[in-house]
Amino acid sequence: MRKLLLALLLSGVSLAAAAAERAIDPKHSEIRFSVKQMGVPVEGQFRRFEARLAFDPAKPEASRAEISVDIASVDAGSAEADEVAVDKPWLDQAGFPRATFRSSAVRSLGGSRYEARGTLSIRGKAREISVPFSAQQQPDGATLLSGQFGIRRSDFGIGGGEWNESDLVANEVPVSFRLMLAPAR
Amino acid sequence: MYFRILPSRPALAPASSKDYGVTAQLGHWLTALLLVGSFWLGWTMTDMALSPTRLRYFSYHKWIGVTVFGLAVLRILWRQWARPPALPAQMAAWEQAAARLSHVLLYLLLLAIPLSGWLMSSAKGYQTVYLGLLPIPDLIGKDKALGKQLEEVHELLATGLLLVIAVHALAALKHHFHDRDDVLARMLPGLRPRGERK
Repeated sequence: MRKLLLALLLSGVSLAAAAAERAIDPKHSEIRFSVKQMGVPVEGQFRRFEARLAFDPAKPEASRAEISVDIASVDAGSAEADEVAVDKPWLDQAGFPRATFRSSAVRSLGGSRYEARGTLSIRGKAREISVPFSAQQQPDGATLLSGQFGIRRSDFGIGGGEWNESDLVANEVPVSFRLMLAPAR
Repeated sequence: MYFRILPSRPALAPASSKDYGVTAQLGHWLTALLLVGSFWLGWTMTDMALSPTRLRYFSYHKWIGVTVFGLAVLRILWRQWARPPALPAQMAAWEQAAARLSHVLLYLLLLAIPLSGWLMSSAKGYQTVYLGLLPIPDLIGKDKALGKQLEEVHELLATGLLLVIAVHALAALKHHFHDRDDVLARMLPGLRPRGERK
């Protein structure tokens, strides 16, 4: 009985230290990006990704995120664009099948706004980024985390050679995401 | 000797009821030139694999289409103010009717083809951004099946335009070399209509 009590207490302590991990609802979650070609924004997204997320609005510092994106699941607007996107000069799916983000710190920006800092790795290159996001409590207890940030293709060596001539394809790539966290249990 | 030095009359308006003005001539030949480029790009780019060059060709093709559309609107408005010269009186009634019909068709197609291209582009998920600077709003959202249908419409209309242009050009040559009237000459900048040559 004592042991059980102790175990319960300990689990309570560990829960307090780090927010509980919550599953994401893939149907209501998305990771999108936009690539500007000769001034034309072309919307794309990654259809498959895994996310290990722990988020507690009361203790944002205890939150953490690990997101792993399946490069092969890219939708770059058309079948032929998909082929080019996963090819070696671009995302190089064969060499680097996954892009990852791992948070190092999460802090509140006031209200429902937060900021996650962490490491984004694409094509084997890691960059420190900061991702502002907002958390919206849903009526069913789920939490919607959404935000956007920008990356530069050149930071990750995405799309080299003749694709980088003049302003054919913009270097800046806006990324937006919506991650629906299942209700905390 | 057939070439007029700078006209003494106002340059923009038709010289006489027998001539097109410089503005109408410019609109006509600029459109002709743009169409040559647009057709060549249209045929070439659709056979290419995705590459930077293909991306450029698609953009140029769309920019030309927007320009041709804009020019067609301006030319139609201009015609209301500076009426085109009358057709030669010796033309048979059916010939006159055919000439009018072919011109109506030309203008309709010059409007309809860019419109269908713009809609197709939207349906395929690509906004048209004129000269890479001026975004033209999407009237319809991304819809693959609709995009495919509009592609067929665009191609069909373009083929139709080629046919009407062929008739248009052959008729102009027939007027010039067979009927020996002013119909072709009056659309050639700087060329004095036969009636005024003495």
